[in-house]
Amino acid sequence: MNTGWRERAWYPVAYMFVVTAVPTMLLLGLSEATRERVKRNERLAFERAVIQALEPELSASLPKARYHELFMERVGTNTFCGAYRYEVGGKVVAYALPIEGQGFWAPIKGVIAINADTQTVRGISFYEQSETPGLGAEIAEDWFRLQFTNVVLAESDPALPFAYAGGEGAVDAVTGGTQTSTRLERFMNERIGAWRKKMRGGE
Amino acid sequence: MSEAKKTGVGKIALEAVWYNNPIFRQILGICSTLAVTNLVLNTLVMCAALTAVTGLSSLTVSLLREWTPRNIRMMVETLIMAFYVILVDVALAAYWPEMRKNLGPFVGLIITNCILMGRAEAFAITNPPWPSLVDGVMSGLGYSMILVIIAVVRELFGMGTICGVAVPYFSSEYWDKWIIMVMPPGAFFMLALVIWAFRSYAPEAGGESRK
Repeated sequence: MNTGWRERAWYPVAYMFVVTAVPTMLLLGLSEATRERVKRNERLAFERAVIQALEPELSASLPKARYHELFMERVGTNTFCGAYRYEVGGKVVAYALPIEGQGFWAPIKGVIAINADTQTVRGISFYEQSETPGLGAEIAEDWFRLQFTNVVLAESDPALPFAYAGGEGAVDAVTGGTQTSTRLERFMNERIGAWRKKMRGGE
Repeated sequence: MSEAKKTGVGKIALEAVWYNNPIFRQILGICSTLAVTNLVLNTLVMCAALTAVTGLSSLTVSLLREWTPRNIRMMVETLIMAFYVILVDVALAAYWPEMRKNLGPFVGLIITNCILMGRAEAFAITNPPWPSLVDGVMSGLGYSMILVIIAVVRELFGMGTICGVAVPYFSSEYWDKWIIMVMPPGAFFMLALVIWAFRSYAPEAGGESRK
């Protein structure tokens, strides 16, 4: 068998070209085929956070499709002063305000729900966070989240202070997750403050 | 290279998992060992991903070995690994987005995991496909074995749970959670202890161990 052509200068180039082109094509096809699905997953994570913030008592194990249904039925895609309106029976019951800011390792994204009186917190939920498991990541756990329900926002700033060891506040910060807690406390209160101002200005 | 001479599949497997274990013998793939071992579930998924990628890329490198020009072989090997890693990443993004978020950048970083290049260069490039597949998969399992041990201890001592399930005593008030275990330094201590323990028991492969 004559394999002399393998010694030619063009062979490695041609080989590399083929070996690059084939997998690239396959991956392109695959990522194209799953793109819609990936987008839907991201959207669903957000919708779930909105529903969980609005209805904190709701079990976290509802089927995924149910969150989407509830979102479309009661929330919809329109925002008002930067918040989503939660409507039951044609009446606005609460607002879901997306919050976002830098955590300890990476951005934290979540939703805080406030009743229509713009005073009482209904719930909070996070759909993106990479805080330390067991410490900062506790913000996504029920014990932390459920503390927010029925907290009345203060008129002063910050409207929703966290309690650290020896101090006072509306909800307990995470022990061992001080960096996560202070950052979350800061950007969350900034968002709440800005939203409240807008709501009052618009009235 | 001692393993290139041995063709028995059982021998290859034992060599990869034990005598040449990527973690405690060769000290390869440490980056992800330190990063993903604070939760057992994340560790299991990471291990499955790495084992699949190591096995398949060793197989592919071996299949192409007759045609791959020697001077560009490392580029080709990296390309093959990247292909499988992206495959895993896309699959996770589409079907298990929560897990992909948990693992963060570490699935993508499998491409730079030294275990893959190590197996491709030391074994797959000079051996037939079937032994190469076994070697790759077994190296991945050798890696997984150590990671799971580290993860179980870290999650149990640090959080009182295993795979998120509360363990009696460890999740009760009698157990003071070792916060350091879930933080990065906990991984360093655990890794050092595990390597020490295994090296004390496991004999060296053919005298000198590889660096």
